Amino acid sequence: MDASLIVYAVNLAAIYGLMAIGISLLWSSIGMVNMAHGATFAVSGYGAWYAAVTFGPALKAALGGTAFLMPAMATMLAGAGLVVGALFGLLIYWLAFLPIHDKQNFAVRSLIVTLAINLATVQVLLWAFGPRQKGLPKIFGFGRLDLFGVHVRYDQAATIVATTVLLGAVLMWLRHSRKGLEIRAMMQNAEGAALSGISARRTALPVMMLTGALAGMAAVLLSQTVFVSPTAGAIPLIKGLTIALLGGLGSVPGAVLGAILIGALEALTGIIPFLGQRYVLFVQFAFIVAVLLIRPRGLGGLLDETRE
Amino acid sequence: MSKLLEVKGLSAGYGPLRVLHEIDFSVDRGERIAIVGLNGHGKTTLFRAITHLVGWQRGTIRFDGTEIGGVRSLGEGRRTPSIIRLGIAMTPQGDAIFPGLTVRQHLDCGAYSKLAWRERARRRERIFDIFPPLRDLQGALVGKLSGGERRMVSVGRALMVDAQLYLVDEPSLGLAPKISRRVVDALMAIGLEDRAMVIAEQNVSLLTGKVDRMIGMHAGRLRGEVGHVELG
Repeated sequence: MDASLIVYAVNLAAIYGLMAIGISLLWSSIGMVNMAHGATFAVSGYGAWYAAVTFGPALKAALGGTAFLMPAMATMLAGAGLVVGALFGLLIYWLAFLPIHDKQNFAVRSLIVTLAINLATVQVLLWAFGPRQKGLPKIFGFGRLDLFGVHVRYDQAATIVATTVLLGAVLMWLRHSRKGLEIRAMMQNAEGAALSGISARRTALPVMMLTGALAGMAAVLLSQTVFVSPTAGAIPLIKGLTIALLGGLGSVPGAVLGAILIGALEALTGIIPFLGQRYVLFVQFAFIVAVLLIRPRGLGGLLDETRE
Repeated sequence: MSKLLEVKGLSAGYGPLRVLHEIDFSVDRGERIAIVGLNGHGKTTLFRAITHLVGWQRGTIRFDGTEIGGVRSLGEGRRTPSIIRLGIAMTPQGDAIFPGLTVRQHLDCGAYSKLAWRERARRRERIFDIFPPLRDLQGALVGKLSGGERRMVSVGRALMVDAQLYLVDEPSLGLAPKISRRVVDALMAIGLEDRAMVIAEQNVSLLTGKVDRMIGMHAGRLRGEVGHVELG
């Protein structure tokens, strides 16, 4: 296999992994399938674009011609994506979690409410920004690295590094902080967590904001290669959901493995002559159906059995 | 002794199924009581009603002077954390509740108050003094432990915080007789002072002579009461 194809696959896996881990975390900790995750992606993309339009010229005037401009711009856009994503997560918490989290069939109710939020958000974005797509500045430049003979574009390298650092930080926080312990307790046994004085209402808030921020980061990173638009979150949402399902909804390691597999599958499908890019989704769904037929618990179940 | 828990006219159940019928009982500070009865007669539901884990309930429950019952439960588990934080620690029936956490993390989950969290290392040591086998298993996943060890972890979690009332559900369930006695002995060794403990158990002989009072439960109703002097 061409080495650059592997880089392309890992790059896709990194972005989709951010979405899938958010979906998986939400499901396993608070029992919500968040169909508004795509809306979070789109809103964060617009947030980053708005920050670039509003503060970009001032930043260019202050740092233009220096080596600091690009890192400053990257920090600003990433920060805007993370903050807007987290704030949109807060909005979903208010609208789709607080009013219904203790009602019967919360999983189905929240799915419907978040789907409604997703549709409404697309309309609001269309109304506010119009149908024309927006482009984010190329914060990582146009060059490429030569790593052991493999050409890696700057944006690909930065995406892989940024995602690895961000996910590493999230996993460390989950593993070592008090709030992380509470979230993991809720992921394993919500009733047991309640008996340990852990409130679902209090714990859900950081989870919603964190997963929103991950979607925001994914939006900024993917927007280096595709445009920001009101419906930009649809494909990442579908990819994130399918990867989360493939990984065994609720398993973070399963989501990571699922993202790598789906990224590789997408890269491979694109170069097979009789398939090509237009069959990417078809091949992915066929693959996921095949895996779930053989292993209904997904890859997460496989990982659990390996550990046992 | 003042009353720590007072239950009056408590009925509770799941959906259309009513399990508890007009329960009246109280627990004094410093008291250790047992509620005994066969499986399926409402002991666990009583504990779950006190902690608001059942979907429907009626009657009054006063804990340390605060009304924690209600005409209608707000939803399973919604009020549970706030009731637990008033000073009730419950060890549920069955296995330890977080099998994917290590023993140390599992115990830390019980340290929900700011003080308990700050002092968690010292409190863990106290738990290891009560249950010595856990000391060497701190880094082990709870799901990989034996039934007796898991029960020790579960009880230890409830002891990590300074609760006023301990509710221990079926401490002997699924355990070998020797291990059951060890867990019960550890529960009896806990100094109560102005706190109280209620143990739900189907194995009457395990608690005979060890508790202040035994209350029988049958078909969702409390049936009679004996003190330990008579049983001993």
